[in-house]
Amino acid sequence: MSKNTKVILAGCAIFLSIIILLVTATPASSGSEISLLEARVNADQYKDRYLTTEGFLQPGSVDWNPDKVELRFTIEDDENNQLQVFHHGVKPDNFSDDVIVIVHGYLKDGLFEAERVQTRCPSVYEGEDPDDYDEEFHRNLLRENKDEE
Amino acid sequence: MYILGNLSIYFALILSVYAFIVFVLGIKRQDQRLIDSGRGATLAVFILASVSMLLMFIMLGTSQFQFQYVYQYTSSDLPLLYKLSALWAGNAGSLLLWTFFLTMYSAMVAYSFKMKRNPLTPYIVAIMTLNTIFFYLILGFVTKPFVLLDGVPLEGRGLNPMLQDPGMILHPVTIYLGYVGLVVPFAFAIASLILKNMDSFWIKMTRRWTIIAWLFLTLGNVIGGYWAYTELGWGGYWAWDPVENASFMPWLTVTAYLHSVMIQERKNMLKIWNLSLIILSYALTLFGTFLVRSGVLTSVHAFGETNLGAYFLIFMAFMVIFSMYILMSRYHLIKKDTGQFESFFSKESSFLVNNLILVGGTFAVFWGTIFPLVSEAVRGTKVTVGIPFFNTVMSPILLALLFVMAICPLIAWQRSSMKNIRDNFLIPAIISLVIAGLLVVMGIRDAYPVISFGIIAFMVLTHIVEFIRGTKARRKVTQESVPVALYRLLIRSRRRYGGYIVHLGIAIMAFGIVGANFDIERLETLSVGESVILGDYTITYEGLSQRSEGVNDIVFANMKVEKNGKQLGYMQPERMFYLNWEEPSTNVAVRSTLSEDLYIVLSAWESDQRATFKFKINPLVKWIWIGTYVLIIGAVFAIWKGRYGNVVPRYSGPQRKVH
Repeated sequence: MSKNTKVILAGCAIFLSIIILLVTATPASSGSEISLLEARVNADQYKDRYLTTEGFLQPGSVDWNPDKVELRFTIEDDENNQLQVFHHGVKPDNFSDDVIVIVHGYLKDGLFEAERVQTRCPSVYEGEDPDDYDEEFHRNLLRENKDEE
Repeated sequence: MYILGNLSIYFALILSVYAFIVFVLGIKRQDQRLIDSGRGATLAVFILASVSMLLMFIMLGTSQFQFQYVYQYTSSDLPLLYKLSALWAGNAGSLLLWTFFLTMYSAMVAYSFKMKRNPLTPYIVAIMTLNTIFFYLILGFVTKPFVLLDGVPLEGRGLNPMLQDPGMILHPVTIYLGYVGLVVPFAFAIASLILKNMDSFWIKMTRRWTIIAWLFLTLGNVIGGYWAYTELGWGGYWAWDPVENASFMPWLTVTAYLHSVMIQERKNMLKIWNLSLIILSYALTLFGTFLVRSGVLTSVHAFGETNLGAYFLIFMAFMVIFSMYILMSRYHLIKKDTGQFESFFSKESSFLVNNLILVGGTFAVFWGTIFPLVSEAVRGTKVTVGIPFFNTVMSPILLALLFVMAICPLIAWQRSSMKNIRDNFLIPAIISLVIAGLLVVMGIRDAYPVISFGIIAFMVLTHIVEFIRGTKARRKVTQESVPVALYRLLIRSRRRYGGYIVHLGIAIMAFGIVGANFDIERLETLSVGESVILGDYTITYEGLSQRSEGVNDIVFANMKVEKNGKQLGYMQPERMFYLNWEEPSTNVAVRSTLSEDLYIVLSAWESDQRATFKFKINPLVKWIWIGTYVLIIGAVFAIWKGRYGNVVPRYSGPQRKVH
């Protein structure tokens, strides 16, 4: 066996181990993006899975307990599928009624325990005028996202 | 100004198309007059790009809100520096900046003193001009920088508060300089392939270009991390966000390239590998732009959804197919006189290992970044891989890399004997094992940090051994004093020791990165006068106050900080409220020492002045920034023009009538 072949074989071994590392790490640390409907109907199926879902913040549902640093709120979609969310942390920026909220975390007995809560507003990054905030546009945006899934 | 601005764009587009055509014609007909005309056009395009930039700066600086771009990204109350840096706040402006750098580099190559009378030059500049044309097409028809509004608004929308940070002034510029810089070695590589010049001329010629591009990429990434750390308030500096990955991937491949070219220069091996690496690095810069601008992936940095990304993808596909075609058609020529490996344990093979790990790491990052897209296409659900995925995968890869870095400098070229290995490694290995043992005694029980610190120590020690060995050898011959011998040793092989200094910088950064994993975090709501105890710190909340800065209001908390009973003074985490922006932004209070950062974020407050804070202790983070300084010193040292080893590489490839 020539030296070149040997070196190539060793190289393949390195590459193979990286691939194995990838394949083994992927399922353990991946999560799924699901809709609120799925979260309601197939809750059991997603037990112990790291999930991402989003919906509109339901007006008046925010319950913020500063002493325990606990945040509770409800999100819903157009078909009135609701999901109660619990988050140990503070309100994210722009946390006002009817904004789209993205939550990451685990679904436990119908309650979503969010590790991370974000708000989405396309105006944040492209410098749109906040006065132009158009509820209809946001609803359409969410609908489009739903359709893509 | 409107007319002038648009003229500068469209005229530059026409001129760059013209330049490309006359270069191709000139090469075909071997007509020097055409080539010279193209060269002139390249310079003219650069001048026009400078004019566009200047006009844009004037518009922004004088707040001419009748221009859409000025209206969208600035307001009259903004400090001048941020008004100007708003040039790269949006798509059109940042692409203009990119184009400006590209034309600047093209002109520099076209009029390069070292490339004078070199038949490669027309090819190189033509390839770079191809890029310029693409960017001007985008600027001229997709995202136009000079667009007038119907009326003249009284006030602009203002710059996103997150962008009002010193990081904004440096981060985009350095990233773009890094991205654009990679076009130069790419163009050199393709040009020498087309001309069938198969030696390492192009590599030697572009060594400085590549190191500078690499340095800017590194800086761009670190400045971005520092910015996130101080501005965003989540307590970290790197989140494996698609956009961060987009600039990390070319960094990895260029790092690999910088090492593997050394093998080609010395041993004439790995030619195809090097060519592929530079093509890959170049393609990744375009791919990165595609990721950022297309909105296909959810990212905090994204520029909003436009079809701009699609154009980048198409251009990238075109350039990759073009360069792959050239590479394949020259394959037999490249293969002809390639060197062979002579030993299993040699510098060549350890460099190859380092390359494979770097490219493997790139692939891992790539995989993680596009995984949501792939899974959506294959299984219909968007499966996301988060920070844990990258940490699990990249930690062993980066550790392996550090280990190879520790071994590499001490292995001889061609063949290493067992004795040589024992002589060089025994002492550093023993000391690192002792350090690892001490860490375990000190109470660190996790395997990862112990192994990591052990490897980092090993790497630092083997590098120090290398400096000592060189100095000793020199003193034997010259009888100089130690500092003189060390100094002369370093400046006589800048490239080698510059590289080692960069390695030491990486080791220092790694030290900080591993340390930062021992962070402690607490979320707490305090009433006025209440304290929280975190580690050795006692932090007392003394109340909220308000002040104004320009037109903006700042609410800040007074936090008295004590460590082990000793008063350390006050820290003031802030929330800033902007006149022109709905959301407040966070200004983190950081007290940074060599051993740890105390990091306080003011998150929320109630009407009775109770306030919620995030407290963090981030150990060793400062070393990441210190390591970066060392790395800059090393890189600059390596490319500094000294008296020694500063030979202009001689071109010995095919000759043409035109140059």
